[in-house]
Amino acid sequence: MRGCGRSSRENYLYMNRGTAARLGLGDFDWVWVESHHGRLRCQLKTMEGVEANTVWTWNAIGRAARNGRLDEDASEATAGFLLNHLISELLPKGRADDRRLTNSDPVTGQAAWFDLRVKVSKCAVGETGIWPKFPMSKRLPGDNRRRPSTWRYHTEAAS
Amino acid sequence: MRLGLVIDLDTCVGCHACATACKEWNASSPVSGPLSDYEPFGAGTLGRLVQSACGITRLGEYPASKTINFPMSCMHCADADCVTVCPTGASYKRDDGIVLVDQDKCMGCNLCAWACPYGARELDTATGTMKKCTLCVDRINDELLPPEERQPACVLACPTHARFFGDFDDPASEVSRLTAERGGFGLMPELGYAPVNQYLPPRELKPVIGADDVKALLERGLASLASPVIRR
Repeated sequence: MRGCGRSSRENYLYMNRGTAARLGLGDFDWVWVESHHGRLRCQLKTMEGVEANTVWTWNAIGRAARNGRLDEDASEATAGFLLNHLISELLPKGRADDRRLTNSDPVTGQAAWFDLRVKVSKCAVGETGIWPKFPMSKRLPGDNRRRPSTWRYHTEAAS
Repeated sequence: MRLGLVIDLDTCVGCHACATACKEWNASSPVSGPLSDYEPFGAGTLGRLVQSACGITRLGEYPASKTINFPMSCMHCADADCVTVCPTGASYKRDDGIVLVDQDKCMGCNLCAWACPYGARELDTATGTMKKCTLCVDRINDELLPPEERQPACVLACPTHARFFGDFDDPASEVSRLTAERGGFGLMPELGYAPVNQYLPPRELKPVIGADDVKALLERGLASLASPVIRR
């Protein structure tokens, strides 16, 4: 599984079209994605240009409402999903006496997004919507900043 | 003069650096001003990246499929209907070929957007005026900038050097040379707008390991791949 930075209002889990057909999945199907660490629900899209056993999505989307200046009904909080729910900080323990290793690239120290094994399965009828959802964060003390409906760089102070 | 861009579809990786560089430069540019984002923090977020917005085309079936990232912007057509249809004279074509919108004359009627077959124009509802690629006219003619920086922001930003800027009327220019050497083409020439921007086609790639290579490997044994140091 890998991520690719891009800001948008929603994101999908991308899967190889042939693989999706074999699994009985199609565009915009709601799917459960499970790893050793957790699971999430999101919507699927198929494409040709991805390796048959790899799924991917954008990252840097799916922040909870009120985080990062988002409004209560922000698009990415309601329609975006975050892979973090599947990715643990430490690698899973193998043998009982294994030292727990950090889930990061050994050379750069960057968080390792790319080698997570997941299971993708179709949601039951009626199971729709991004999951998990969390209680809305409280606004930070003193945060009474305006959330403009139109954003024009260099034309107003980002108060 | 016929200024425009050459975009190399062989090397573009679809990173959107061109689009963000465009947005950043124009935010403080007096030529068009910022491209508004709508509802950036609420429901129905719609970011405007009309200039150099990047489409993705996928050809063929896996594993022989190929992904082509397709950055689009104003083609600065030689025969620009967007200029012809403008009722206020806000849209105009300069002697150097650049198609611009005079923000003071534009009344936001949208006729030019309908006339453009490339989707190059976008109405900014915050200002009520039409926004489009300016080919960074306020960079390329700015003599206060070092000569190598007198290019559009998207060209300077491109990390894979897939974008080139120059004069297509000059047969010795880099853009003319590249177009001739690599078989560059304009988009939808059959419509008769004579688009100036040219695209270089992606090259046909052979698979990294073909069936013959696999056969040869099996015959020679995998050990033949190891470096001489390890083999010793």
